[in-house]
Amino acid sequence: MTPQLGGVPGFRDLLPLEAEILREAQESLLAEMRRWGYRHVITPLVENMDVLDLGLGVEQRRRLFKFADGRGDMVALVGERTVPVARLVAGKLRGAALPLRLCYAGPVLSTDEGRFQQRRETYQVGAELVGASGPVADAEVIALAARCMEATGIRRYQIDVGHAEFFHGIMDAVRLPDEVKAGVRAALAARDFVALESLLEGTPLKSAEHELLLRFPALRGGREILDAAGGLVRNRRSEVALAELAQVRDLLVSHGIGDVVNLDLGAIRDFDYYTGVIFEGYGPDFGRPVAQGGRYDALLARFGRPAPATGFMIQLDLVSEMLTRAPRPPALKPVDAALAWTAPGLNTALRLGSTLRLFGMRAVVDTQTRTRSEANAWWHAIGAANLVYCRSDADVSWSSEGRRTRNLPPEQVAARLAGGGD
Amino acid sequence: MKRDETVAIAIPTGVLTSGALELLTKSGLTRLSAEELGRRLLVDQTGVRVILVRPADVPAYVDHGAADLGIVGKDILWETPGSHYELVDLRFGDCRLVLAVPSASRLNGPETWPPMLRIATKYPRTTSAWFEARGQAVEVVRLHGSVELAPQVGLVDGIVDLTATGRTLRENRLRIAAELGASTARLIANQASLKTRTEAVQSVVSRLRKAAGLDR
Repeated sequence: MTPQLGGVPGFRDLLPLEAEILREAQESLLAEMRRWGYRHVITPLVENMDVLDLGLGVEQRRRLFKFADGRGDMVALVGERTVPVARLVAGKLRGAALPLRLCYAGPVLSTDEGRFQQRRETYQVGAELVGASGPVADAEVIALAARCMEATGIRRYQIDVGHAEFFHGIMDAVRLPDEVKAGVRAALAARDFVALESLLEGTPLKSAEHELLLRFPALRGGREILDAAGGLVRNRRSEVALAELAQVRDLLVSHGIGDVVNLDLGAIRDFDYYTGVIFEGYGPDFGRPVAQGGRYDALLARFGRPAPATGFMIQLDLVSEMLTRAPRPPALKPVDAALAWTAPGLNTALRLGSTLRLFGMRAVVDTQTRTRSEANAWWHAIGAANLVYCRSDADVSWSSEGRRTRNLPPEQVAARLAGGGD
Repeated sequence: MKRDETVAIAIPTGVLTSGALELLTKSGLTRLSAEELGRRLLVDQTGVRVILVRPADVPAYVDHGAADLGIVGKDILWETPGSHYELVDLRFGDCRLVLAVPSASRLNGPETWPPMLRIATKYPRTTSAWFEARGQAVEVVRLHGSVELAPQVGLVDGIVDLTATGRTLRENRLRIAAELGASTARLIANQASLKTRTEAVQSVVSRLRKAAGLDR
């Protein structure tokens, strides 16, 4: 039987170019987070089901890879990484003073093949600010998300900011029977505005909140949308939400990202989880959000350490896909120097390789002796910028794409390559 | 590359094509004949790009952002739910998804169903979900065309298929035993398009709404 060389369906191999773009994007994200004082934590790929049960909704739990470990405990492969961080903050970090700024990076798994590219393993990089409430903390995390998108090299992007409490206030205030309210929630969760309209049409009482619900997908814009919505809502919860959004927006202007921020009062998210300001980051011409986050003040209490918290995660696969697809993909250096040799030149080649690497260049020394023409073929096969062919310490030739081959002493080859000159 | 101000709309081949094009004409967005679109498949005009794709592919084009908007039957959305917004009931292309059985069959309401029903359909997902919700075990045979034939040759007990007038069913000596749902054409939108190019997309949406006879 032939082994399944393609791997398990839904799990992807990343070939060198993809893997390098992904890794560089991850490093830029973590580096940006570190510049904001977020400390890196690594939590395991496996978590106890008891822990995950505390933080995840029914649907999220259903999609977990679950199994029993050797001791009979039910465990699962993580499907997101905020809950493990919450466990850490309430457990091993319970002595650490709040607020805590933490970041993470790693794969997450799902038994469902996502509808896009059938992926069951994806990569997320995220940051959590635990123990700080209020607009200043909300704005910090949003600004960090924006700077993170920039740091990966995404040139055009936008951040949509909304508020979970705006929706909760409307649902409190709208006069509808409970079963209709449940239908409204379901329709909104499915983004089905046809169903929403027919549900609301069938009810006699028309309030301002009715109108707001129907206009949900269009409740977007700048500062003016807050005034427009403020004129329509008649409930305290939504009003407080609007006031908070106004503050957050002003703070984001001070953070220097006012021009990429939109207010989106109709943002539809998991409203059982989010308790305050929520946001999403979009890249250019890309069909779905690459960054998602918001305030989740109820989660930590479930682990026994009540604390407000906000955070976000960036879908690393989407970022690297976006970068790969960009008109000018990021320039990844090929190998700088391919060092080929014949037996008397091996020592020279090895010495030269070490020298070049000391200067930060990527140098590959061949593993077998080659003739000149074989060396040329190998040079092109590994995609190196230069070929250095060592026949002895006194006979070293240097070839570079589009230039004539020159014989030089080895130290001069090293000096010229490392100097970046010709 | 898509230009920022151009809104791409995916139109389905088949029975909804003419209704969709009529709506585009009425809205003043673009005047295109089915023949021309059928020949070119992709037509770029000022401010709007129209693409013609198979009905079942419309959600894919919209969800991936290759089209900002799509016109598609609700029956397709039942079968391929996605991350798009379903914005408007366009009120054309009325049809019903029905369970049809041979005229001579004993099968009728749920009380007459055997412990295991064999059903042929182009809508496996919707079919399984509907029967499962009613506690009925089904074996779904997924077919790609001429579903009406399957019960006549003894492949299945009945079929789940779309019907507008019921004529094809009658011609194949089938009768309707139950209705799974009523479908019309819907306007769907990519979730990111609505957010990143709100003005251009919303203006097309409201023109289509008006053309469909909806006031708002």
